[in-house]
Amino acid sequence: MTPDEALQEAYARWLDAGTRLAFAATLLAFLLYAGGVVPSFVPLEALPDLWGLPVDQYLERTGAPAGWGWLHLIVFSDYASLACIALIGLVTVLCYLAILPTLLRLGDRLQVSLVIAQAVVLLLAASGVLAGVH
Amino acid sequence: MFFGYVASALASDGTAHAWWTWLLALFAVSFAIGIIAVIAGVGGGVLFVPIVGSFFPFHLDFVRGAGLLFALAGTLAAGPMLLRNRMASLRLAVPLALAGSIASFAGAVVGLSLRTDIVQVALGATVIAIAVLIWRTKDASAAGIVESDALGAMLRLRGKFEDPVEGVAIDWRTRRTLGGFAAFAGIGFLGGVFGLGAGFANVPALNLLMAAPLKLAVGTSGLIISIVNSSAAWVYIHRGALLPALAVPAILGVMLGSRIGARLLARTPTAVVRRLVIAVMLVAGTRALLRGLGVWP
Repeated sequence: MTPDEALQEAYARWLDAGTRLAFAATLLAFLLYAGGVVPSFVPLEALPDLWGLPVDQYLERTGAPAGWGWLHLIVFSDYASLACIALIGLVTVLCYLAILPTLLRLGDRLQVSLVIAQAVVLLLAASGVLAGVH
Repeated sequence: MFFGYVASALASDGTAHAWWTWLLALFAVSFAIGIIAVIAGVGGGVLFVPIVGSFFPFHLDFVRGAGLLFALAGTLAAGPMLLRNRMASLRLAVPLALAGSIASFAGAVVGLSLRTDIVQVALGATVIAIAVLIWRTKDASAAGIVESDALGAMLRLRGKFEDPVEGVAIDWRTRRTLGGFAAFAGIGFLGGVFGLGAGFANVPALNLLMAAPLKLAVGTSGLIISIVNSSAAWVYIHRGALLPALAVPAILGVMLGSRIGARLLARTPTAVVRRLVIAVMLVAGTRALLRGLGVWP
């Protein structure tokens, strides 16, 4: 196995594990949400009257927060579902950080720089700093 | 599209408030798209957004948010198999995804600031243009091995691709690498604006522009989408444009569908799938365009 193939295999392993974990958490949270086991911030029955609205009007009507404000509502099943969806958005950065030590050992400086730059971009996006939230 | 039609029919029968019927239809549509999207290398969002945006009652803001997650989840699910089967190249994906993810983030911020009818018209026109692009795209890698350019050589964008169906091994390397960076930045921006996976353009950019073998281009396109959409998805999450009730059925459907699609990729005639995708895109794109113009609300 070449170093590139070994790196690809490692990335695949982390991607597989991360995706399975995020997928399972999302499924579980959604079952609690759709099954009505845990109360939701916006009732499912109310959604057909709301999901046709632009996002700004939706937030206004429901009092739902933007930015990281939803973290305070994580006890509600719809926002617990959103948290699990956010995990899906973190799988790639996990894979990048996981292959970084191997890349450093291989001494592939250019590839290391690209991987670090990508991880920074993804973490910056996740932070919400540049998302233009009002 | 069939399920979109069924969903529309349900609404006209006065059961529009049965939320679960919409979510069930959304799951079924997502599952079907998940299978064909991996095989056709179109990411899925390019089918999901115009179909769901045109035939379901959800606002385009939420459809685009779900569309990004849809394409992201599908490609994440297919990624491990594509990498292990050497149908995707991580070395090729890393630099191009970096350009794409920065642009995609910017595109998502811009897209959520535009008026809905403008986005709808632009989406319809873009989807129709993409359908024509896919229709006219031909496999350039069959023409022979190309010489690496300086940037491609520096990034070591080369490898050996073994096609299990054709039984041939191709020593590939990239050309026009700088043009490839520019293309992926442009594609990423559009993907962010419309909530698409943008595989429609990734594949010709990798294959026609940069001379990667077609099947490797399809697989690598999926990997690139999984990286690029991760950044844009956060914009939709932070802006509140991601409704779990819509995103989760779509994600579950596409994750299950794309795993089947990844298994079928190596032994499925891509030409047949490509024709089907073109037909669906033309119908959904026309519907989005007419809806945006107020001709077919």
